[in-house]
Amino acid sequence: MQEIYDEIRSDFRYDHELNGCLNCGICTATCPSAQFYDYSPREIVQLLWTANVEQIYDAMQEKIWACAQCMTCAARCPFKNSPGGLVMIMREVAIKHGMQSAKDVLRPFGRVMLKLITTGNQLSPDMIQPDHFPDWGPNIQKVEGDLKTLRKAIPVKTLQTVETAWEVSLKTSIEMYTIWEMTGVMNSLETMDENLFDVIEDFIDEKRDDYEDWLEEQEDDD
Amino acid sequence: MSNQIPGDENTGGIAGHGSFFQDANLSAEEATRATDWVRKHVDRRTIDLGERMDDIREHMWELEKEGEIIVHRITDEHEPINVKTLFGWDKKVPTKQLWHHKSCGQCGNIPGYPASLMWFMNKFNFEPGKDYLDETDQTSCTAWNYHGSGIGNVESLAAVFLRNFHQAYVSGKQHGHELGHFFPLVHCGTSFGNYKEIRKYLVESAELREKVKKILGKLGRLVDGKLVIPEEIIHYSEWVHVMRNRIASELQTIDVSNIRVTMHAACHYYKMVHEDAIYDPTVLGGNRTAVGSSVAQALGSQLIDYSTWYDCCGFGFRHIISEREFTRSFTMDRKIRVAKEEAQADVMLGIDTGCITTMDKNQWIGRAHEQNFSVPIMADVQFAALACGADPFKIVQLQWHASPCEELVEKMGISWTEAKKNFEAYLKEVEAGNIEYLYNPELALGGRA
Repeated sequence: MQEIYDEIRSDFRYDHELNGCLNCGICTATCPSAQFYDYSPREIVQLLWTANVEQIYDAMQEKIWACAQCMTCAARCPFKNSPGGLVMIMREVAIKHGMQSAKDVLRPFGRVMLKLITTGNQLSPDMIQPDHFPDWGPNIQKVEGDLKTLRKAIPVKTLQTVETAWEVSLKTSIEMYTIWEMTGVMNSLETMDENLFDVIEDFIDEKRDDYEDWLEEQEDDD
Repeated sequence: MSNQIPGDENTGGIAGHGSFFQDANLSAEEATRATDWVRKHVDRRTIDLGERMDDIREHMWELEKEGEIIVHRITDEHEPINVKTLFGWDKKVPTKQLWHHKSCGQCGNIPGYPASLMWFMNKFNFEPGKDYLDETDQTSCTAWNYHGSGIGNVESLAAVFLRNFHQAYVSGKQHGHELGHFFPLVHCGTSFGNYKEIRKYLVESAELREKVKKILGKLGRLVDGKLVIPEEIIHYSEWVHVMRNRIASELQTIDVSNIRVTMHAACHYYKMVHEDAIYDPTVLGGNRTAVGSSVAQALGSQLIDYSTWYDCCGFGFRHIISEREFTRSFTMDRKIRVAKEEAQADVMLGIDTGCITTMDKNQWIGRAHEQNFSVPIMADVQFAALACGADPFKIVQLQWHASPCEELVEKMGISWTEAKKNFEAYLKEVEAGNIEYLYNPELALGGRA
């Protein structure tokens, strides 16, 4: 527990996000999540401020995942604290330590992570379909038609795709994979979801092979 | 009055807190003074130039002098317009030679958003490939995933920021322009907030710069061995803001004075790195960030304020995927119902992907709780395009919206049924391969116009 607290405190953002606390509660008063969950940004700041190690650990089991990251708390705090920013540090530490709460909470988010890490986009038209969001109603598009044709009717070339939000060049994707690997994002992913990690690794290997082939073709053409 | 917990005298705790909390025992006068101090700081925007609020751009100039970074400058060629930020600082908003940094949410879900923006640029006779560029060599900012999941870190966000903005810096070369010709125009509110936050960390932390320099070096994305950081981070709504009077005077064809508009400004536009958000005393007394509202005002619509203007939309990053009850309850209770009941809004305008998606898509389920409120939701630039005669389907792409846009369009004097009929006929043309573009599609792949 102490190790987890020390890790949160040693993040270089920590002093930037936590300056002091008047306990005025303006952060909680305007926090959207506080209206729906047992969550209070004031409590997060107070726990960290007063170094309440056990309760910090408890908050990381569930509460920190309620934060909507709107940063209303940060904009309003008279001491220029950022409870939302502190929550992000705590989430990263929870992931590094493979906490079960993080695994549970992130499972439904896997599709976004898969899309992002493999394509460099976080969202795509084929994800925004009635099957995936039944609560969005039966008519989430006002014109009947094949998705591909509807996308082709957008007058912007880069947007005429279905599996990505915009067309991303192969070289760009490969650069992205290098960033994921060099910054430890792939390691975090493996800690959280080994199956998803394996799927993504296979996909990346395949794309890299494609890129090598493309580079060879270019050399041959020269 | 003490708020000691009854029966908790032994612990010395304060109601709702642990035993380490002690009552401040303020007198009534002291308590009033303390409360006034808090109110002064939080009730209205304050011009705070305190020592904790350095202007990060000044540190960028120092780093540039020391040979650490290259600052991608806004030059006269970008035809910038100066505006004031929350703290009274000047911000240069370039109006030309812009590199469209797209938003995955907008492009994947609200394509009329970027299309309307480019349509405006064409209307101002901007030459694609010279005055603006939309290309395939860019990734998402990755901040939705980061804020939603925590998978990612400051280093990865910084590397992505520097990679994309390096590309913006060099992108003109293949079209015969100098380095720095195109300046990045960020479409997404979350990208805008995230990039500004990351820029701050990069400028403040030599260690972070050192780490990402290795990555950017491996990617071949350093210039003379240095990181490239833009002078300003510019959100598309800031471009619309500085162009609003030209939009209204040169392009507007439709009278919107009968339209009641409510505005929802994206949290990540003005609550993250809030000192950099644009405020204007002529827009709602300077007590709301100006963007979005200002264009509605310039077009002559009725801009109506409402009590929950400060609330977020309920998007919540992870929440919209896996805590949907929160998202839809918040958006219906705190935004849609209020816009309808208090303001009798004909439309709610937004300036960001997540807000518009959240408020647009979550209205239908409200009926299950007898919340039969519905308001069309779209971006400021989409509304402005409609007011300037853009086709509701081909350009503004309202067919992707779940909220009821039909009545609004009709109230603006545009025939929805006629436009829909024309679009359905156009879809047959699309199937036959006769597609209309806003610019030469080859440009997107690096080709010349």
